[in-house]
Amino acid sequence: MSRLPASFEVDLQAHRLTLIGDWTVRTLDRVRPRQVAPLAAGEVMTLSTDQLGAMDTAGAMLLYQLLSQLESAGGRIDRSNLNSRQRALLELVAQRRVDSHTPSKPRENWLAQIGRASVGSIREGISYLNFLGELTIRLVPQILRPWQIRWREVINEIALAGVQALFIVGLLSFLIGMVLAYQGGATLKQYGANILIVDMIAIVTLREMAPLITAILVAGRTGSSYAAQIGTMKITEEVDALRAIGIHPLDMLVVPKVIALIIVMPLLFIYADVLGLLGGAMVASAVFDVSMQTYFNRVPEVVSLSTLLVGLMKAPVFAVVIAIIGCHQGMRVTGSAAAVGAATTMSVVQAIFTVIILDALFSVLFNMMGI
Amino acid sequence: MAIPVVEAEGIVNRFGQTVVHDGLDLRLEKGSITALVGGSGTGKTVLIRTLIMLREPQAGRLKLFGEDVRLLSVNQRQRLRERIGVLFQGGALFTSLTVLENVMLPIREHGAVPAEALEEIGRFKIALAGLPPDAASKYPSELSGGMVKRAALARALALDPELLVVDEPTSGLDPISAAAFDELIIELRDLLGLTVLQVTHDLDSIWRGSDQVAFLGRKRVLAMGTADALSRRDEPELVAYFRGKRSQVYANQYRLEHPTNVEDEHV
Repeated sequence: MSRLPASFEVDLQAHRLTLIGDWTVRTLDRVRPRQVAPLAAGEVMTLSTDQLGAMDTAGAMLLYQLLSQLESAGGRIDRSNLNSRQRALLELVAQRRVDSHTPSKPRENWLAQIGRASVGSIREGISYLNFLGELTIRLVPQILRPWQIRWREVINEIALAGVQALFIVGLLSFLIGMVLAYQGGATLKQYGANILIVDMIAIVTLREMAPLITAILVAGRTGSSYAAQIGTMKITEEVDALRAIGIHPLDMLVVPKVIALIIVMPLLFIYADVLGLLGGAMVASAVFDVSMQTYFNRVPEVVSLSTLLVGLMKAPVFAVVIAIIGCHQGMRVTGSAAAVGAATTMSVVQAIFTVIILDALFSVLFNMMGI
Repeated sequence: MAIPVVEAEGIVNRFGQTVVHDGLDLRLEKGSITALVGGSGTGKTVLIRTLIMLREPQAGRLKLFGEDVRLLSVNQRQRLRERIGVLFQGGALFTSLTVLENVMLPIREHGAVPAEALEEIGRFKIALAGLPPDAASKYPSELSGGMVKRAALARALALDPELLVVDEPTSGLDPISAAAFDELIIELRDLLGLTVLQVTHDLDSIWRGSDQVAFLGRKRVLAMGTADALSRRDEPELVAYFRGKRSQVYANQYRLEHPTNVEDEHV
């Protein structure tokens, strides 16, 4: 189906308006009805439709505009050459056309924008506090009466957040252990202190690297999925449906996730500790002449229980922070699919940011306590 | 004779072990309004998805506007899609766009319209679908269920499609809006020469809003004809569907309005 572009000619001598081509939605780009000069008052024109092809509602719309424009100063165009269908289309357009243009919203000046952003941040903070309060009210009674916890959901969440994260957490911890060994080993070798690689890797991995890497991975992997899942459920009214059935959405959706992450996070930390040490051991034995046996004999000598615990203590804190941020961002979603995307992004950004800030605070705190 | 708009032959649709359609035939003539009916799980929505090329059937031939879709390139299929307007069951409006932007999207994408007329055409389609002007700047989440259907219809009509496929347009509408919707479809068919295929459970739409009814059963189109003709057939599925108490009211009304058919019955 080839289509001719629509156009028209106003012939003032012959008193004729000629419509040319197909007046359809795909061929109207050259028609500019509003740029035509109106006919003089009393002028009567005939309408030639010999060269007019197909017409649809969009074409009728522009024809209507053209005729209105031409007739706006009192001239007239004889429509009798249009066939009945074209006239009916024109009629339909005239009936249903909407004149009003909604005024576009005025732009805010910079002061208003700053104000809006500030109020938004304060509201976000208050909203977190509200969420935290509500969650505490739901969580504490369940923890005091553990048989009320929805263990099925908890176990499901443990599988999702823990078991399925094993590969990626393990691989990254192993690789970072290797990298640490390489970088540290190169320096220590110059002093002939190859054996100190063990001290360095063990302490750094247990205290900082394993917890931080695991928390960041969990924030990106699990926190974001919490936000996306709950956000989508908000949009499809599933959260409202839960409420209507008489199940508190926090009980069903948030509490199991928080509990599951509190359980899973320390386990993932220990797992990451082991893999990180293993990665270091690989490089130490292969490159720096520290045998596996020497390496693992030395680990307990340089690492006390407190080193391990310093790392593990962070686990529940990070778990709660990540779960709450993800779930809270999900619960805040309203309206559109784009809001789910925004909430997911926000959950990752906020969770990683908070985790690193907290990690720094922990370091300062432990330093002051002399651990 | 004009080329049928839709011509499906021997369509087979399977989901794993479940056979939904087995040798289904369907033919829609230009300018007809066809109601696609059938019990739950008879594959009405699957059939519609097949016809609008969202789903590749396991076997069978589908011709749209006389062109065999299997033989078409991706681009040619795309051009065929532009000639089909679809109203999805849940509306499927883009939630991050206003109603007006939803309607303008296909026009901007596929049409060639001067920029200053774009918005006016969009607003016209919105009015055509029976929405008040202020609905144009609203987001889908701010609309009621009936308004979502109308906004989705406005978007389906954006490119003046030749084939309009609608999935349960009147479900969830109040009776008055539903009747207005039926009338609107008929009006559009008369004016624009639309061919309409509507999945519906609404007896009003079946008996008054459609020229013919395609009844899905036994994994194919079991029967096709006017609602009245189908209500006289003896297959158990059709008897169950068309001779219920509520259908009887419509059947009686229909026969009062179309006395010639009553005579046929006595012959």
